[in-house]
Amino acid sequence: MTSSGPFDPDGITWTRVSTRLVHARLITAGLTLAVPLVVGVVLALTLSPWWWFLGGGAAVVLLESIVVIPRQVAAIGYAERDDDLLIRRGILFRTLVVVPYGRMQYVDVQAGPLDHRLKIATLQLHTASTSTDATIPGLPPHEADRLRDQLAARGESRLAGL
Amino acid sequence: MSEENLRWRRVHPVTPLVRGWGIFLAALVVVANTQIDNIGAGGGIPGFGDLLWSIVGLVVVLVLGIGFAALSWRYMKYAIGEDTVQVNSGILFRQQRRARLDRLQAVDVVQPLLGRIFGLAELKLEVAGGADSGIKLGMLSLSETEALRNELLERAAGVRQAKRAETAGQEPGASDALPTGTTGTAATEDGEGHGEGLGTVEVDEAGVPGVPVRASAGAPADADVVLEATAAPERPVFDVPAGRLVGSILLSWELLAFVVAVLALAGVVAGTREPFLLFVVLPGLLGFGAFAVSRFTREFGFAAGISPDGIRLRSGLLETRRQTIPPGRVQAVVVHQPLLWRRRDWWRVEVNVAGYGGSKESAAESVLLPVGTRADALLAVWLVLPDFGTDDPVAVLTEGLVGVGPSERTTVSPRRARWVDPWSWRRNGWSVTDRALLLRSGYFHRTLDVVPHERTQSLGLQQGPLQRRLGVVTFAVHSTPGPVSPGCPHLDESDAVALTVAQAARAHEAREHATPEQWMRTVSEGVL
Repeated sequence: MTSSGPFDPDGITWTRVSTRLVHARLITAGLTLAVPLVVGVVLALTLSPWWWFLGGGAAVVLLESIVVIPRQVAAIGYAERDDDLLIRRGILFRTLVVVPYGRMQYVDVQAGPLDHRLKIATLQLHTASTSTDATIPGLPPHEADRLRDQLAARGESRLAGL
Repeated sequence: MSEENLRWRRVHPVTPLVRGWGIFLAALVVVANTQIDNIGAGGGIPGFGDLLWSIVGLVVVLVLGIGFAALSWRYMKYAIGEDTVQVNSGILFRQQRRARLDRLQAVDVVQPLLGRIFGLAELKLEVAGGADSGIKLGMLSLSETEALRNELLERAAGVRQAKRAETAGQEPGASDALPTGTTGTAATEDGEGHGEGLGTVEVDEAGVPGVPVRASAGAPADADVVLEATAAPERPVFDVPAGRLVGSILLSWELLAFVVAVLALAGVVAGTREPFLLFVVLPGLLGFGAFAVSRFTREFGFAAGISPDGIRLRSGLLETRRQTIPPGRVQAVVVHQPLLWRRRDWWRVEVNVAGYGGSKESAAESVLLPVGTRADALLAVWLVLPDFGTDDPVAVLTEGLVGVGPSERTTVSPRRARWVDPWSWRRNGWSVTDRALLLRSGYFHRTLDVVPHERTQSLGLQQGPLQRRLGVVTFAVHSTPGPVSPGCPHLDESDAVALTVAQAARAHEAREHATPEQWMRTVSEGVL
């Protein structure tokens, strides 16, 4: 994987998420940026060349996301340890979350229409703390189901109040 | 569970009157406002007809309000089960809520101003279910509320009443409704040891004078003994004199800003001779002043005590609030000191309690010490963690409160962190005891977060691009919602990773040996 450091503690093998998440995110980015891009180009050709700024800006953001999204997806990883789950993500702003199984209150698995088509799902762990941001996007459905059942089972056997 | 044995009760019949009164007051304010606006708009003094209509309208509102409140009173019932509280309410949309007593996070007795006049109070039971998850019982007569509180705390604590006699006057039916299954058997096993447990309770582990035990504990150590739900005896620990509270409000940035703004406004008005400016800016300014007033009325007469039921807090000038936070329910503590308080060495202590965080009154409920000396602040931390897990808690805490730079106990940010944190880099740091993690930060506004190991929810590390260049990361402990968000910025990368790994292990270890939800069950082992 990438360089070792604070976000790669020793002895941890990270599982990466599906590369189909790249497609999902690119499609979302493309759809949202297509509107200003098209509007900008059309208005620039018909009204005033100043509109090139809008179209150009949208194009730059689109190109940037095409470069960044695959790397961002590659940076997402999770690792199941004996007593806790580790999740890391981000390239520029990096985060690592350690969630003990015994602290887990419930698990969500979600998939939108696009996710469904691409056969990926998002898994989110909730603890009693709202600041716990433990989300794993881009899991293959069978892996999401396995992880959900596994986490739920482990949470049960390690439950200790609040 | 044996539902048929529950005795359903109603809240006090005066409740609709007290509740409906609020709607009436609101209507009165609206009417008065429009009338005054009318006068202001040049409508002149309202005629007799206008006034009559207003009065008729008000009476209708009053009748409707009280009628609605009376109806909802009729539909509201509550019952105390062996290990649950149940409340049925709602007129059209019926709601049945059942809360497990062993999940009780805090019990508050709140008396609004009107309630104090009628001698009524409201009981608030907090459970950790997010916003609007608690149970409100009220209004009840004050003595009934207190009896109920004591009863609930006793049951929540796992203090077993094998035979509840009618002398307790509360639950003639419930004792026969012993639940079958696991809880029932666990309870009977516990029954024998319990009497002794109460007799030998030792709370003065940290060298603080012992807390008296329940009044009934002197009775023969017999599981069949009748424990009346009297209030667990309480020992006062600290209080806040009104003078200090006023001083602390005077020495706050909010008030300073208020005074400066008023002076500036006065200057501008005097200079420009345009008094209408006053009317434009004044309402906004009054909002600022309201902070001072609300803080004063909320935290007036603050006192804290300790009892076997947990931490007891009372406060309030107009609306009084008496809180009980059972042992082990505090998720995190923050002791902090705004710069203006430093000369006086005053500190403020706030806590995260699951259930308090989500509610509207969170700001009022989560205060453990509004303003106090350093000794008070140390006592406040002791209330939460009587056993601090170190030989010299005062030294460890003092270092956390005012310490700067590294020591054998404390690890601080590396020197290179000064580029992102020019002042507090020598203060950012952490130290660990057997029971808790201490995270300190803030050079001007000193802050110390204390998180008991077994209350750690999850851990997080964060690093931005600038931090990455400097090789530092921000460490955070995630706690339940509330005023405390424990964390420590700009720690050395390898230090932070070591801390995260070690803390995960410590939290796991502590959870294995955590006090059970029913805190009195292990009291014979000397654990509070």
